[in-house]
Amino acid sequence: MKTLVKYAAAFVAVAAALAPIYWLITISLKREIDQFASPPLWFGFTPTLNHYGAIFSHDAFGRYLLNSVIVSACSTLVAILLGVPAAYGLARFPWPRDWARGISFWILSNRMLPPIVTIIPLFLMLRQVRLLNSLSGLVMVDTALNLPFVVWMMRGFIEELPREIEEAAMLDGESRLGVLLRIILPLVRPGLAATAVFCLIVAWNEFLFALILSQTQSAMTIPVGIAAHVTQYEIQWGAMSAAGVVAMLPVLIFAAGAQRYFVRGLSLGAIKG
Amino acid sequence: MTTRFLPACVLSLLVLLAGCASPGSDKTLTIAVNAGVEGSALKTAAREWGELRNTRIEVVELPYANLFEKESLDLASRTGAYDVIMLDDPWFPKLVADGGLTPLPREPDADFLASCLAVCRHPFGTRNYYALPYVGNSQLFFYRKDLFEKYKLGAPGRWEQILAAAKAIGAGEKMFGYVMRAAPGNPAVADFMPLLWAFGGDIFDAQGQPNLSSPEALEALRFMIELGKSAPPGYAGYNADEVSAHLLQGTAAMSINWPAWIAAMDDPSKSKVQGKIDFAPMPSARAPGVAELGAWLLAVPAGSPHRQAAFDLIYWATDAGQMREAALRGNPPTRRSLFQSGDLVKKFRAFPAQLAALEGARPRPRTPQWNEIENAFGVSLSQANSGAVSPEVAMQQANREIAAILERGK
Amino acid sequence: MNAGQMTGARRIPSGLIWVAPALMVLAALSIYPLLYLIKVSLTDAHGFTATHYARLFQDRLFVVAIGQTALYASVALTIEFLLGLALALLVDSLARGRAVIRVGILAPMLLPPVVAAVIWRLIYNPEFGVLNGTLRQLGFTTANLTWTNGRLTAMPSVILVDVWEWTPFLFLLLTAGLQAIPPEPIEAARVDGAGYWQILRDVTLPLLKPTILLALLLRLMDLLRIFDQIFILTQGGPGSATETMSLYIYRTAFRFSNFGYAAAMSFVGLLMTMLAARGLMRLMTGERVRKAP
Repeated sequence: MKTLVKYAAAFVAVAAALAPIYWLITISLKREIDQFASPPLWFGFTPTLNHYGAIFSHDAFGRYLLNSVIVSACSTLVAILLGVPAAYGLARFPWPRDWARGISFWILSNRMLPPIVTIIPLFLMLRQVRLLNSLSGLVMVDTALNLPFVVWMMRGFIEELPREIEEAAMLDGESRLGVLLRIILPLVRPGLAATAVFCLIVAWNEFLFALILSQTQSAMTIPVGIAAHVTQYEIQWGAMSAAGVVAMLPVLIFAAGAQRYFVRGLSLGAIKG
Repeated sequence: MTTRFLPACVLSLLVLLAGCASPGSDKTLTIAVNAGVEGSALKTAAREWGELRNTRIEVVELPYANLFEKESLDLASRTGAYDVIMLDDPWFPKLVADGGLTPLPREPDADFLASCLAVCRHPFGTRNYYALPYVGNSQLFFYRKDLFEKYKLGAPGRWEQILAAAKAIGAGEKMFGYVMRAAPGNPAVADFMPLLWAFGGDIFDAQGQPNLSSPEALEALRFMIELGKSAPPGYAGYNADEVSAHLLQGTAAMSINWPAWIAAMDDPSKSKVQGKIDFAPMPSARAPGVAELGAWLLAVPAGSPHRQAAFDLIYWATDAGQMREAALRGNPPTRRSLFQSGDLVKKFRAFPAQLAALEGARPRPRTPQWNEIENAFGVSLSQANSGAVSPEVAMQQANREIAAILERGK
Repeated sequence: MNAGQMTGARRIPSGLIWVAPALMVLAALSIYPLLYLIKVSLTDAHGFTATHYARLFQDRLFVVAIGQTALYASVALTIEFLLGLALALLVDSLARGRAVIRVGILAPMLLPPVVAAVIWRLIYNPEFGVLNGTLRQLGFTTANLTWTNGRLTAMPSVILVDVWEWTPFLFLLLTAGLQAIPPEPIEAARVDGAGYWQILRDVTLPLLKPTILLALLLRLMDLLRIFDQIFILTQGGPGSATETMSLYIYRTAFRFSNFGYAAAMSFVGLLMTMLAARGLMRLMTGERVRKAP
């Protein structure tokens, strides 16, 4: 009996989490008359793909999608390229006194900086070097956003590994770089995957920087494109919801694929680190 | 691992470089428009022009407040992201300051309505033009003619009459007698100004000091709140889309609104009240009713790298022939000849009312700090309408903040 | 293994070269902007000045924004923590289907916050949204339920969106923490005859303390700088009922081009955030010290 109640509760939780998402999907597929129907139509409506067609043809959504992909992929890549070596350096090298801990903490504290604190100077700085309204500027900013997390997580994962394999390899004449590439990386692949997916999601969902640092379509990402639909003159529900669905699908698919790494990855890296 | 990494790095580098490529090549013009009915006319016109001149048009469409943000940031920093911008006339003093806009190469012809041209001049009252008026918006009073006839209410002419009518209709029908917008900022202020003026008040007194605690202003605010009782609860957060949705769905009987919405009222795909809405000039109270001007102008930022092409576009879009096309698509024109043209008047029954309203329309105060003032004032208005503060406190608050804003601007 | 270089009397840690690129990027994009921010906050059109900071004390709206941010953060954090903990314990105790249930629960936190806000904006619409629509179907009158448009309902409505979206985050961290707990102490307590709640209070929760602290800290930092959802849902209204610090700073900087004042506010906001973090840490670790045998 008790198990039944537990499963019922779990079911309610899942339903509460997914129902609004389902509702968004239905709105994006409903004709305009159905969207305003009273009582609300959860099922049994004639679907239409007009809204999806509209956002891609009228609203440059394809461009926003491309921009989001580029910015997310590039910033994740750069964050990993910079962060993994840093994590290795902190985990496996001797440091005087408590430097390693201090530096790690300093790196992590950067994540604590509210974006609104850095956005004003970043805006003014990027404006000066003419990198405003550019994907490169956004990539730089998102890299800085993700870098602390990469260092923190990967340091935890690397420290988990037994040192013997690395020591043996170095006695055999392997260089430090070789150890990193050929021994450590393959062993931390699940953790690296979880970290990378997390970075992709953070960059994909990022709104404030993208909003302020973009001026034209060439630099706008999907969240900015969606916000532009929240107009004060027309209830563009169809377009808004279609845009929302397109924005969330890649993230959900990605995360579903990598979900088994999440819990394991976090419990290894975050909790123990 | 390395073998997979390298191509990924190269690929991303290439992509990065692609992203670096400067926007706006020689054959692209970037225009910034308001997301909504006002912007749609310019979008279509611009694309047609683009085809004629073999130029690509990139449209940046943003909601009202964000459009202002982006435009003012672009102009202030001369980043040259936009070649043509659409601006609401109250923004003009701020955007034109510090040489943000390029002066017009040719004076606009005399067919443009004087009230619309007046707000394109800097300094106000001189003959230097910095923009061309495109959307001839001045407020009209939208009301359900059929319900007014049913309740034998007579044409709307005075605010007291409107209040009584709203109560009667609200009581007798399953709908709200009135609807208005009071979301903080532009919505609340834009809907309040006609009331303020009709009761004989104004934001500034003759010495340019904020004058919102005057008895006339308080009376106007109290009247607005009284009217609000006949409006849907939650109107203190409404924008224009909620107001129009109520009118279109037949759930509210009257409202202040903009001519850009007239076309939708008779559009079968959007309106449940086709043919039932009529339009009257702004009602009077102590003072004659005055419509607030809200014209949308076209201008070329000083930082634009394609100024010549940009001017070509805006002169083309505002010439009589093109404006006629835009009018046929539902855009309120700014040329007298179009308001008086026989076939257009036959098609748009509200044209005579619109022309009268435009000719007598009054612009909002011309100050570069208008946006800040409107924001502060709008918050207080919204709070008074949602019941968070009393009208007296709201106006005192607004007075204080506006005075502080003026002080800072010196 | 020890590869420290001796250059005179100083020893450069050999790991530095590995960490250097990351440190430089962060210095350029985090530290330098912070210093630049301080400089901007002390400048106006006429040069060096402290007027922006002076103005802060007289700015009623700033105080309101801070208060509302604190309210939002504390209420949301409490609800999200309790709900997240309950769900973590619940799902952990299920025998089968855990993975599927977890994926379902986690979905909302993966969405771009902007999309979550759009979803709820649709749901909350008083006339045409599904919330009021369903309530009407069940027979309730929804005339006064204006959710994000109502003076009293706006803040709770916005908090509810945050709870829906971010409880999964706490659920995730607490689940990971639960899995990292060794089973022996719990087994031992059970053998000793302790009941479920007793075990929870005396064994599980204390072992979970570090995870709880981490989860609360991370979430608190994000809550204090909340922006995306409120921007989409209410833009701070009605009136200023949902005005938060980030929104106010954003508007001051980017709508009124008042960078100096916005910078001053940002800096003060940063100090307050750091204070709040320290306060939370002291609250949690202080208790622990006291309970230690």
